[in-house]
Amino acid sequence: MNLSYTDEQNLLRDSVSKFCSSDYDFETRMKSVDSESGYNPEHWKLFAELGWLAIPFSEELGGLDGNNVDLSLIFEEFGKSIIVEPYLANVVLSGGILKRGDLESKTQILEELISGTKQISLANYEPNKGYNLDNVDCEISSDGVVNGTKNTVLNAPNADFFIVFGRQGSGYAFALIPKDASGLEVVGYKTYDGFVSGDLKLNNCKAEAVFSSKNALEILDETIQDAIVCICSEAIGAMEKCYKLTIEYTQQREQFGQSLSKFQALQHRMVDMFMETEFTKSFLLKVLATEDVSEKTKLIYGLKNQVAKAGKKVGEEAVQLHGGMGVTQEMSVGHYLKRLMVISHLFGSSDYFLDKYIDS
Amino acid sequence: MDLNFSKEDLAFRDEVKEFLDKEYPKHIKQKMENGDELSREEIVEWHKCVAKKGWMGHSWPVEHGGTGWDATKVYIYLRELALAGCPTFVPFGLQMVAPVIWTFGSDEQKKKFLPRILNFDDWWCQGYSEPGSGSDLASLKCKAVREGDEYVINGQKTWTTLGQHADWIFVLVRTDDSGKKQEGITFILVDMKTPGVEVKPIITIDGDHEVNEVWFDNVRVPAENIVGEEGQGWTYAKFLLFHERSSIAGAPQMRRAINKLKNKAKNVYHGSEPLSEDKNFLSKVAQFELDLDALEMTELRGLAAMREGKSPGAESSLLKIKGTELQQRISTLAVEVSGHDAMPYGGPYGFSDVEVAATKDAQLSAPKYLNFRKVTIYGGTNEIQKNIIAKAVLGI
Repeated sequence: MNLSYTDEQNLLRDSVSKFCSSDYDFETRMKSVDSESGYNPEHWKLFAELGWLAIPFSEELGGLDGNNVDLSLIFEEFGKSIIVEPYLANVVLSGGILKRGDLESKTQILEELISGTKQISLANYEPNKGYNLDNVDCEISSDGVVNGTKNTVLNAPNADFFIVFGRQGSGYAFALIPKDASGLEVVGYKTYDGFVSGDLKLNNCKAEAVFSSKNALEILDETIQDAIVCICSEAIGAMEKCYKLTIEYTQQREQFGQSLSKFQALQHRMVDMFMETEFTKSFLLKVLATEDVSEKTKLIYGLKNQVAKAGKKVGEEAVQLHGGMGVTQEMSVGHYLKRLMVISHLFGSSDYFLDKYIDS
Repeated sequence: MDLNFSKEDLAFRDEVKEFLDKEYPKHIKQKMENGDELSREEIVEWHKCVAKKGWMGHSWPVEHGGTGWDATKVYIYLRELALAGCPTFVPFGLQMVAPVIWTFGSDEQKKKFLPRILNFDDWWCQGYSEPGSGSDLASLKCKAVREGDEYVINGQKTWTTLGQHADWIFVLVRTDDSGKKQEGITFILVDMKTPGVEVKPIITIDGDHEVNEVWFDNVRVPAENIVGEEGQGWTYAKFLLFHERSSIAGAPQMRRAINKLKNKAKNVYHGSEPLSEDKNFLSKVAQFELDLDALEMTELRGLAAMREGKSPGAESSLLKIKGTELQQRISTLAVEVSGHDAMPYGGPYGFSDVEVAATKDAQLSAPKYLNFRKVTIYGGTNEIQKNIIAKAVLGI
């Protein structure tokens, strides 16, 4: 048994952590959030230069042969600064589909993704259809014509290409669609955590390519599992920041002639926040250290259930203990709660994953 | 003891329903159903519509224009309003400053202010908290110095809800800092148009502008505008807070909201089944409804006591805690029901310029959830309410 990170992983963590703590303070983040594209292209370029966009891809695809543990520690650091740059959408989701899929041009398109020159968004969820991955109406015909509506397509307004998941005959497939394809309308918007997303309206839209029609659903499922591990790691980073911010604030804020942190009732609440974070972190390590695929899948469902509850609780407590200041846009703590809340239902709610845990 | 309404009560319920059918302005009803933002004019229009009917003073004594209803009628009235989706009354005049004025104010103040409050001619707001004085309200520093027939106010208030719309503000000011902090506080009424009063918006995490900072820079107020005696403001302030806390439980609104959610869950997927058939969801709904029943009965007990002339006391803290916890629970449940459709954010009232695929209900669930983080903080945090219950109710 070995629960420690490798030297290489520690170096990676240091490098991400250094960026997040020195180049990504709260004001910098909010500048990205308030900008038109919702992220800072300079940061994206830097991520590419540092090789971060290449991590989860094999060497033959131009990547660094990294694994889930590498991604997890990147996301944990991202979570501490609630980084809005579209790493999840591009590298984990679209990259995850492409590396597993049989798209002919995948080497070339991944090269563009890894170099940061092109962005790609995965479009699988549909309005009012819940979280089951196979619950889609979107149709991809045998000659590559796509019809349907997708929503909450992460990073849609910045995407150069979309990977659209839909039904094909009695199975499923992916369609690769450039952003300017005729028959495609993109409605971009912010999501309530400050990220960007969008709806796709596909009306007889001709795909550039259709791929993985034999195992699209399996590929999607595996990719979403990777993404769940990433956002759960991100949540843990955000939770850690939440209790630290709260300790700092309650030490500074004085009421009734002493700092709030001296009140025992509040101390216990902060201890609970810390404990929630630590136990969630332990659960994450269990997931990362598990090798058996079906056991790992079950544990990922359990992790998402745990994170949805614990992240929400820690975020809410952080806001509550900040008092009125906690609900203002100018304090960072509320923005951590927003991200934790989105993570709590992204890819499925706590109840949804509890059921999946029980059933698998 | 029974829970059945008498014939007379049922007739009254029909009268309320009929009033709402006929008089509740349709354009406001529509906006409320859509979750759209009401303008100042529309909020005033709604209050005036109720005032015209003579029903604004449901919690007021008859001699000041109150309706004289018993607890059952008040309950029926508020419940019907909530079930019809009416806007809640702006409480700062009606439920907060008015009881202070009729209990501690001068005859001139009663004559000058109460009829205008009852008719919603003046919009009131609250000047209590300060940046350094939240839970520890009595440490407030906003200063008023007597100069001849006037007080000159300097300082800052914060978290003033809807202060941007207000005509008047009731303010706790420090007129003496030589003794204990609870002494030397004075309760004063200030016209918002007085030179030196400035309102600055605070944007909350849902993106809304609801609360404000209010700044006082050499604001000169006639000395006749202090309520009761100089230096006794803390007593009036606490009296007001009990009234404030008893008015924020919101059980009937939650009844309506949970019914709406149950309906919505029939058309939402949980895996491959409708959410309305999911055991986890059903158990959350059931637990919520049970707690709501208990809250509602506790509220009724309070109303009954108030009608017998008892001022709401520290017991109102029970309602505040439980009511706000339930408000947060249902706002969380609404986000869960909306799933990923809760993510698109078009501001606190939804998108005005683009059409998105998620329903408006779903889009609004997240801003509402975020907005409702405030309820366990305002009106005295729930932590402070527990201190009050421990001290004043349990005697420990």
